[in-house]
Amino acid sequence: MSEESKGRVLTLTPEELLGPLNEVEARHAPKFLFIEGDRNLLRTGPRVAVIGSRRVTEDGLRRTNRLARELVGAGVTVISGLAEGVDTAAHQASIEAGGKTVAVIGTPLDKAYPTSNRKLQAYLSENQLVISQFAIGTPTQPKNFPQRNRTMALISHASVIVEAGESSGSLSQGWEALRLGRPLFLLRSIFDDPALKWPTQMLEYGASVLTDVEELLEVIPCADMSEQFDAAF
Amino acid sequence: MSYTPRPTTEPGKNSKNIMYCLKSNSLLGHPPISTTERVSSRIRECLDELPFREFLDGLAIAVPIPKSSLAKPGSLWVPLMFANALKQEGLVGDVLACLSRSHAVNKSATSAPGERPTALAHYESIRAERALITPEKFLLVDDVITRGATMLGCANRLYDLFPGVPIMGFAAMRTISDEKEFAGITAPCRGCITLHGSQTSRVP
Repeated sequence: MSEESKGRVLTLTPEELLGPLNEVEARHAPKFLFIEGDRNLLRTGPRVAVIGSRRVTEDGLRRTNRLARELVGAGVTVISGLAEGVDTAAHQASIEAGGKTVAVIGTPLDKAYPTSNRKLQAYLSENQLVISQFAIGTPTQPKNFPQRNRTMALISHASVIVEAGESSGSLSQGWEALRLGRPLFLLRSIFDDPALKWPTQMLEYGASVLTDVEELLEVIPCADMSEQFDAAF
Repeated sequence: MSYTPRPTTEPGKNSKNIMYCLKSNSLLGHPPISTTERVSSRIRECLDELPFREFLDGLAIAVPIPKSSLAKPGSLWVPLMFANALKQEGLVGDVLACLSRSHAVNKSATSAPGERPTALAHYESIRAERALITPEKFLLVDDVITRGATMLGCANRLYDLFPGVPIMGFAAMRTISDEKEFAGITAPCRGCITLHGSQTSRVP
């Protein structure tokens, strides 16, 4: 990370951080984003969100770990929400694999939720990137988290749900990704639970089943695109 | 334009990035302009040199191809935005969003070759709304074309409603699965989509 950005909280509009937004993207975008860490992580390479339940199974953790490592191995920046369960596993696996990872959190930057992730959040602020749409002093409320999930969908070129129940916040992100026209993948194992209704609904509205990371890599960009557009035309 | 989904070369990688811009209708460039507007503007600038110029003579009614899935109101529908951008440039006469899905089919881009929906499956999943117009011709508009099965399914569904009206198809980008056949991003062409049994082939 450059010395310039180390330890500093920056306040930016989504357009300043991500580039101009089309009308569909702008509809649910927050007014401001507060960031701590290396903003260059959003300027290079594709970004994929790996998300899922807080109360994840052992198999879910193993799948998250493998998926995050494969993505990092392909040069993808792994985005997640720094919650318990899948999110924490995704960040940790990315760090262990020597990759880039960005946390999009549902609290202001000076708060950690869960508190057990305080150290991980501090590490990510120092060495990677943490983003919040909530200004310091904003009370932490349940409604913050689905809002955060919509923002995470906006920041990510694609999203993958590893494991989620009917009331999981990951579903907010899934529906937002579909609204934005961004690729949304569900792990095949999700369909092992016939009681879940949301996976079939999301398939009907454009989600895909992920059986191989290569399928995902085929539909995301190879790199940041802003300079290449002009050259192409 | 054309793109290749598993690129190893820089031009191939650039093509995939442009495909993503198109599929998300990203705003890029200075000043920012949507990808579909940029593509439409470039088409108008060099229309005389394009092999499909008579498709875009301003007389056709543009019909955007529906997504492979169901769609909630307010969600991104790039072919509609592309059709509107073509109209803005005077390249089509009007836009008629009369096709939609009654049920979802597999996405071609993320399906294995054997699991891609056939033209008949597309036809059966598409519903068409009647419109009180008598167009001279239709232009089906899509963002990316893979084999053309969606285009063929839509064309047949549209023909049911408007028998005898000529229907052409137009996509901003073609998928070139084999990178060895990828010749560059800008690759305007005109060709045919043919149904052989249940399989569709697109040439070129």
